[in-house]
Amino acid sequence: MKAISVQVEKAVKTYGGVVALAEGNLTVQSGEVMALLGANGSGKSTLSKILTGVIAPNGGQVLIDGKATSFGSPQEARKAGISAVYQELSLIPDLTVAENIWLSHEPIRGGFIKWQEMRANTQQLLDLFKGLYGTNLQPDALISTLTPDERQLVEILKALSFDPRLIILDEATASLDSRQVNRLFELVQTWKSHGMAIVFVSHRMEEIFRIADKATVLRNGRTVGERVIAESNERELVDLMIEGATILQRERLPVVDEQKPVRLAVENLRTNVLRGVSLQLRDGELLGLGGLQGQGQSDLLMALFGAIRCEGQIVLSGQARTFHHPRAAMKADVALVPGDRGSEGLLLIRSILENLMLASWSRYRTPIAFSKARADGGQIAQELKMVMSSLDAPVNSLSGGNAQKVVIGKWLLRSPKLLLLNDPTKGIDVGAKAEFYNLLDRLRDAGTAILFYSSDDDELLGLCNRVLVLHDGEISAELREDKLTRENLVAASMGASA
Amino acid sequence: MNTSLNRIRSLIPPPLIALMLAVFLFVFGGVLAPGFTNPDQAVNIARLAAFLGIIAAGQTLVIISGGEGIDLSSGALVTLGAILTYRLTGGDDAMILPALLLVLSVGALIGALNGIGIAFLGMPPLVITLGMAGVVTGVIYFYTQGQLIGRTPPAMGRWLSQALIGPIPGVIIVWVLLGLGMWVLLERTAFGKQLFAIGINRTAARLSGVRVNLIVVLTYMLSGALAALGGFVLLGFTQTVFLNLGQPYLFPSIAAVVVGGTVLAGGKGSYWGTMAGALVLQVINSLLLALRVEEAFQLIILGTILLVLLTMYGRQRSVRQ
Ligand SMILES: Nc1ncnc2c1ncn2[C@@H]1O[C@H](COP(=O)(O)OP(=O)(O)OP(=O)(O)O)[C@@H](O)[C@H]1O
Ligand SMILES: [Mg+2]
Repeated sequence: MKAISVQVEKAVKTYGGVVALAEGNLTVQSGEVMALLGANGSGKSTLSKILTGVIAPNGGQVLIDGKATSFGSPQEARKAGISAVYQELSLIPDLTVAENIWLSHEPIRGGFIKWQEMRANTQQLLDLFKGLYGTNLQPDALISTLTPDERQLVEILKALSFDPRLIILDEATASLDSRQVNRLFELVQTWKSHGMAIVFVSHRMEEIFRIADKATVLRNGRTVGERVIAESNERELVDLMIEGATILQRERLPVVDEQKPVRLAVENLRTNVLRGVSLQLRDGELLGLGGLQGQGQSDLLMALFGAIRCEGQIVLSGQARTFHHPRAAMKADVALVPGDRGSEGLLLIRSILENLMLASWSRYRTPIAFSKARADGGQIAQELKMVMSSLDAPVNSLSGGNAQKVVIGKWLLRSPKLLLLNDPTKGIDVGAKAEFYNLLDRLRDAGTAILFYSSDDDELLGLCNRVLVLHDGEISAELREDKLTRENLVAASMGASA
Repeated sequence: MNTSLNRIRSLIPPPLIALMLAVFLFVFGGVLAPGFTNPDQAVNIARLAAFLGIIAAGQTLVIISGGEGIDLSSGALVTLGAILTYRLTGGDDAMILPALLLVLSVGALIGALNGIGIAFLGMPPLVITLGMAGVVTGVIYFYTQGQLIGRTPPAMGRWLSQALIGPIPGVIIVWVLLGLGMWVLLERTAFGKQLFAIGINRTAARLSGVRVNLIVVLTYMLSGALAALGGFVLLGFTQTVFLNLGQPYLFPSIAAVVVGGTVLAGGKGSYWGTMAGALVLQVINSLLLALRVEEAFQLIILGTILLVLLTMYGRQRSVRQ
């Protein structure tokens, strides 16, 4: 592989009056993993997109191998050996996996696509993650039929299919489970040894310390420093990212009050994926769901919310219930933060306010009391510290983490009694995560029952007293107190019962 | 793409562009056809635009609802609305109100059938509404047996088509009231907000508690009722009915929606836009008539203007990278 060195100097990007990037600097070379750190909305994705020609900067320059370059399109950047895994994914739902990966560089002979070869090449790429995805993921499967983590893998393979010299991974791990992340990191190590340069964006600090050699930190659109990882620590990096930040340090988890009433009791729940799941959840309890991706966690949450068909018994607040539509579950004070914000959570071209209010409009009477709705929306936006120009800006002008806060905010507005969370902190920065955890504590104190799936084991360990680990549609282990360790989580997620 | 064009696009909302275009064409028309620009002509254009605008109201809702939403049965329903009114009233002013209620119900019923076919049988809107247009036309033939008996109640002409308040005919007042009603419906009711939502992302809408199928049925139902209302109102103007009364309004009514900046893919748009669009189309129509342009050229010019406008609005759906 030909060596590469890339330098971004004083890159600027504005949208109308909004400054997305004020002064972005970044240097990265062959054989190096450069972490790009910063709070939500600090400009990481913007800087990445400038490097790949998706966004034309308003100022500054990009030097490739010392030569000033400006890319007019992603195609030009790819020719120069730069490709990226985009945070909001660039896949087309109605095309197949193979078509998506080879889009615009299909293997061609005499003007015709060589389908056979394209499929074979796709299979070869998929084999890089062999055994780590569902049977659904095939070269001929439509993207729209895949789970979020499978889409993420396809997006990674798509970027890889261009044989890049520099690959940018923008939050590529946010929806992957620990095994998938491990595999990706093995791959990154190989790429690195072959002389590839890697830019790595993630809000999971633990990952940064595992994989990165250096870190560049952005704050409010400005590069505020570069550090060598081996000579730095989490405290220092977080301080650089967020002024006056506090990382959550919990000594002791709140104890569950066994006197509190049981909010939810599930008996032998079955769906296409679930093969008999039973559980109990008390008011004021935060119950974790763990396990690898696609073991039934999403199905469980969706079934409880009335979004998919299921068999078995669901007893909510002492009453047996069957919900045929999410609306019915909502009426019973159940809320679900879905796992994939793009396809399940957001109306991308509508305003932030309309997105926040979508599940709540009927509470504001007819005609809608708009100023009241706006006030409530503004309050939740503030509570979640959303970085935005105004409530009327479209959701697709938000950074990934801030868009995720909209999905969460929508359901907090309804003050649910049972809150179902499907990997809710995807893409949320360290500071906002800490605040989100505090918020969960407050909800819990107020008696909300919370069922919480996270693809991040650290999060489960730090937040829950009790974790149910799912494997192949069944609960393979219930871990609590001193049994709740990283080792046991990993073992149980492979199917070992504890 | 051209950046100055982009800037115009992001600064001025499409309904305003359409409105400015209508005013410009009206003033500019005086240069091409001396005498074109005068107050009487303005009132006349607004009156004709009102008929088109009322007919296009339901189409606006259906297009916003997304899922390749379109209502091709509206032309036939306009005809049905007019013929029912003509025959049921038989020229009797006292029968106007009962006839109106019946016309609205019949329109709503047929629209609901469209909606049910789309929501529950999964039929493409284009197919089922086109089929429905055929069925409605057949029913009209059967009902009239080719004989158009009846009369227009004199009050309808007085209230709707002729000057009512000062020089302003009643239909313009009806139109403005409908405009206000549509604004409230779209922007200030849960139904309106949910309509935009299903136009963009039906999965997300459902997971937010929106009963997608119900909204689809209601939308086509409203579209049917509004098209039939259009026929009722139109009768006040034409005073007579014929079997092909509504069909010529079908294409212009869709064009008015699109010229007004409502996105064909759904999820974004306004009725103000459609109103401005109807004005644009009517000014062009009247101007070409004043210039005695041949019908063939009228169509070519109209089509060209549509294309230019749509390029100006751009593909507003942002394709995410
Ligand atoms: N199309 C746009 N229009 C307006 N503002 C935008 C647009 N795209 C991004 N921004 C703004 O630019 C800022 C930087 O966004 P960017 O996506 O680069 O953040 P980020 O660092 O990737 O954040 P996250 O960690 O949440 O993904 C944000 O405040 C965002 O609201
Ligand atoms: Mg980002």
